[in-house]
Amino acid sequence: MSVPRARLLALMKAQCDVFSTTYNPEGIRTGNKILRQRLKGPSLAAYYPKKMLKFRDFQEEFGQLELLIEDDAEIARLEHVAALKARGKGAPKKKSGPPDPTAGKKRK
Amino acid sequence: MSMFRSKKLDIGCFTNIKIIRDHSKRKAFEAAEPERQALRYVIRNTTLPARTRAIAQLQLTQMHCYTRPTQIRNRCVLGGKARGVLRAFKMTRYNFRMEALAGNLPGVKKASW
Repeated sequence: MSVPRARLLALMKAQCDVFSTTYNPEGIRTGNKILRQRLKGPSLAAYYPKKMLKFRDFQEEFGQLELLIEDDAEIARLEHVAALKARGKGAPKKKSGPPDPTAGKKRK
Repeated sequence: MSMFRSKKLDIGCFTNIKIIRDHSKRKAFEAAEPERQALRYVIRNTTLPARTRAIAQLQLTQMHCYTRPTQIRNRCVLGGKARGVLRAFKMTRYNFRMEALAGNLPGVKKASW
């Protein structure tokens, strides 16, 4: 039992009307499949985790409200550094100015 | 390319230059994706004049290589390695094993049969 082509085309046309797709009986390549694709950019760009909020960001955000904000870890570190310095075990001072040009040369 | 790099670091995982580069490429691709898709549509549409399609082809090939999706490579968020990365966990197989044995991955359990 064969169905005439005209009838099949009419069916296809009705289908396209119902589902609001493009009626393209010849199968011409219109590139519509590109337009149907979803954009992959946002999911690809979200691959690496976002930067975490640090204590300093918190301080900068709420510091202007003059609330008492203390970073315990930072205070502990500063205390440790002060203790080292008091014992004369602190970090050396930064150099000021360019290095002496004769310093690196070997003496004969 | 440094012009695609963000001025301030905006990722919170293990960081090296390869990860930063890959992240820049991802963002560049995200920004250029609508333009790329439009050009791809013009190229594939056979009802348009051949000249238009050829021009679109040239434009697409002349876009910066950082805007190409094929430049993007999944890297390990714990060590930056590019090979042996499990897609579901974004980790290399070794890091995955260490994290799984430490119990840091919910639902992952060692099995033997």
